[in-house]
Amino acid sequence: MTMAGRVLHAQLHLLDRQLIDQADGHLAGKVDDVVLDLDADPPVVTALVSARREISARRITDLGTAVTVDAEGLDLDRYDDRVERAVIDKIPGAGHAAE
Amino acid sequence: MKKLLAVTLGILTAIGGFVDIGDLVTNALVGARFGMHMAWVVVVGVIGICLYAEMSGRVVAISGRPVFDLIRERLGPQTGLVTLVASFLVTLLTLIAEIGGIALAFELASGVHYLLWMPLAVFAVWLVIWRVKFSRLEQVFGLLGLLLIVFAVALFKLGPDWGNLLSQATSPHPIGSENWATYAYYGIALFGAAMTPYEVFFFTSGGVEEKWTRRDLVTARTNVFVGFPLGGLLSLSIMGCAAVLFLPAGIQVGTLGQVTLPVAVALGKLGLAVVLIGVFAATFGAALETALSCGYTIAQYRGWQWGKFVRPREASRFHVVIIICLVLAMLTLVTAVDPVKVTEYSVVFAAMALPLTYLPILIIANDPDYVGANTNGRLRNAFGLFYLGLLVVASLAAIPLMILTKAGQ
Repeated sequence: MTMAGRVLHAQLHLLDRQLIDQADGHLAGKVDDVVLDLDADPPVVTALVSARREISARRITDLGTAVTVDAEGLDLDRYDDRVERAVIDKIPGAGHAAE
Repeated sequence: MKKLLAVTLGILTAIGGFVDIGDLVTNALVGARFGMHMAWVVVVGVIGICLYAEMSGRVVAISGRPVFDLIRERLGPQTGLVTLVASFLVTLLTLIAEIGGIALAFELASGVHYLLWMPLAVFAVWLVIWRVKFSRLEQVFGLLGLLLIVFAVALFKLGPDWGNLLSQATSPHPIGSENWATYAYYGIALFGAAMTPYEVFFFTSGGVEEKWTRRDLVTARTNVFVGFPLGGLLSLSIMGCAAVLFLPAGIQVGTLGQVTLPVAVALGKLGLAVVLIGVFAATFGAALETALSCGYTIAQYRGWQWGKFVRPREASRFHVVIIICLVLAMLTLVTAVDPVKVTEYSVVFAAMALPLTYLPILIIANDPDYVGANTNGRLRNAFGLFYLGLLVVASLAAIPLMILTKAGQ
């Protein structure tokens, strides 16, 4: 599905929204900023910015109360992985579902 | 039949989960000093929490997004951050108080000093969060918390002059050597105890943990509108017990032992055993809720993966925040600060942070983007605005009154 041409209020509908990774449904950060192409008429959103990574607008697969993106290769949860390796994985049971 | 069981279970859990260390201490303290002359504040507080819990439950069931996720979206990063810092600090302070409460309950049961129990309490809270499923943790401690009904039994057994209690409850003013300043100060504390911010963070995040949809709306509403008022009755019976036993004797409540004493007086050793298990369940359950809420607020503001519906390693930062908060709670209590005093301050600070928590909920519950056609009606908005006004007044008056009354002395 492409979002091309959809008219949105970028500040209301994009900024500070929750990002969801389409692959596993995991929460993947917030939309910290948007990149605009001001040369286009009307200006269009070309990318979202989260955790200092640019996510091309083409990667957006769904826009609802959260923004679902194809995050393949972007490594959006690299900070979580770092904490996981440094702390959480050292505690027994880190990989088990709760009972 | 299965549905009925689920609803009953939800209601019982809501009643048992309503009371925490803040309610226990503040209601007993107020009952001992003001009798039932301040009972109306509990009623006002319970209506307020019902109103806003229903709104936030509706937002979660329809949008699938918890409160803090939306607070940043609607207030922007800066104002959102102020809300986050205030709510987080108040929740952390409440967590410290609850952990102290667990340890104090063990001290009362065993005679061993609470500071020795405290590390054990912290470890147990962490272990349950780390390993136990969300729905189970909520049910077990909610149901055990129902044992606090023993306060109501004790009140009947004490055989009070009901007419006198009722006439106290219908004349809202300070008595004896108390003045309007201390009356207002404790009124705000009681209000803060009933409407503590973490309740909505936990309630809405719990909705996501349990994967609520539109169909769960009825269940959520029943839990709120039946469970919370019955929980409020528990609060009132704690107050009533103190009003009957301590007020005539001019005794002030300053320890958890005094909070439970009326039950021991009325029902003996068995009653004391039951109330101690009830206090343990209520404080342990609330410690779980506040510790989780510390993680929920920060993770939801930042957009991190959170929750017990995924394995801990998939929500590493969420779990690390909880571990850090539990360690901070332990370090604070090790300084031998009185957990009952911490509780008294936590409810007043909670009252101060309330408008910041509840304003965004009121806004979001009116936004069709999130709740579709189920926006607030006129009546709900009228009540919502009225309560927001109350919250702002309580919030602004809290610090001046704290200084004026030297924290209620």
